[in-house]
Amino acid sequence: MIYQLQVPGPIKDVAEVRVLEWHVQPGQGFAAGDLIVEVETHKAVVELRAEQPGFLRRILSAEGDWQQVGAPLAMVADNTDEALPEGPDGLPPLPFGFEVT
Amino acid sequence: MSAEAPATRLFFREAIARALREEMRAQPDLLLLGQDIGAFGGPYREFAGLHAEFGGARVRDTPVAEAGMVALGVGVAAAGMRALVSITYMDFLMLALDPLVNYAAKLRFKTAGQLRAPVVVKTTAGAKGQGVAHSQCIEAWMMGVPGLKVVAPSCAADAYGLLKTALREPGPVLFIDHKRLFPTAGLVPLAEAAIPFGSARILRPGRDVTISCHSWMTIPCLEAAALLAAEGVACEVVDLRSLAPLDLPTITASVARTGALLTVEEGQLTCGVGAEVAFQVREVVPAARVARLGAAAMPVSSNPVLEAAALPDAPRIAAAIRRLLHSQTNRTPA
Repeated sequence: MIYQLQVPGPIKDVAEVRVLEWHVQPGQGFAAGDLIVEVETHKAVVELRAEQPGFLRRILSAEGDWQQVGAPLAMVADNTDEALPEGPDGLPPLPFGFEVT
Repeated sequence: MSAEAPATRLFFREAIARALREEMRAQPDLLLLGQDIGAFGGPYREFAGLHAEFGGARVRDTPVAEAGMVALGVGVAAAGMRALVSITYMDFLMLALDPLVNYAAKLRFKTAGQLRAPVVVKTTAGAKGQGVAHSQCIEAWMMGVPGLKVVAPSCAADAYGLLKTALREPGPVLFIDHKRLFPTAGLVPLAEAAIPFGSARILRPGRDVTISCHSWMTIPCLEAAALLAAEGVACEVVDLRSLAPLDLPTITASVARTGALLTVEEGQLTCGVGAEVAFQVREVVPAARVARLGAAAMPVSSNPVLEAAALPDAPRIAAAIRRLLHSQTNRTPA
């Protein structure tokens, strides 16, 4: 199964974020609870943590990119060999937890 | 700024921090004073990184004592250095008016130019759910102080460029930002550049009516202009940016083209920014039809419904323009 990882929300007063740092690289696997990516709001850093294991397959928003809340950040999958679609449109969102620090 | 100039997208707070960082590097005599501006990084993180780079001697946390803070900054400036004093909420600037108005603004005149007070007071105005004494916009009080300059940016690029100029001015400057601007982001030129004071900016051109505004109110004014465009009314939205000095030529040239002016502000109407702008415009363009929109004559509530009821928003701005243009249409020829 292939999913899209989206900018979390709603966060009060936040319409857009900037990608700060990817902690998983394309092709790498992650476990439930792992930090996948940090994004920056106008006054805080938000950590996105996986709620299920998987593999990061393709990053769609590089570090430094700006994205609206809900926009796709990456395509992720349960395994490494399922063929990826052209883009993230229509992919189910990956469940994740996020913490605003 | 030219549209082609290379630019980078920054949060509003980052534009302020960048201006501070560049000028702190360029001016070893510049000090920053304020509540929570040290290791904490400022109430809106607009001082982030400065304490780490420049240390506690130049980036100083102060007690909650606004009169003392501004007095200290003015004294530092009069003694030959330069200071920026951060007053978290503009409401508390009232406590510090004596050193700013009676000392800093008058020092050059009192000493026949021998002493100057290059101090910037940076403060945050505006309503955002914090009630009667944490929401006020009192910039109109400060526009008539000889020797004091007053600027109020509406976007990250202007915050950067106007703060750069403020930090190089020979006299005192009041730099006013707004709580609702901090969540915004915008393009800021990559090249180091200051924006001169006394320079308004036309945010949206239009032939039917001029809207003058500043700070956060530029956003609902642009929304109102978009609403009215759908009705065939073309609004010219002028962001004053600098309240003292005012860029009268840009505003009057706009009103001379459109024939009508609506002034919009978040502060009170009586003796407000709009009263001053409208009168000065009428002195130059006597035939102009003018109207003003501002806060209702009441304190701003912390109840969000009552807060919104007291302040201009896009529908009220659009309605005021419809009334203004309707009265113009029905006007008896002179």
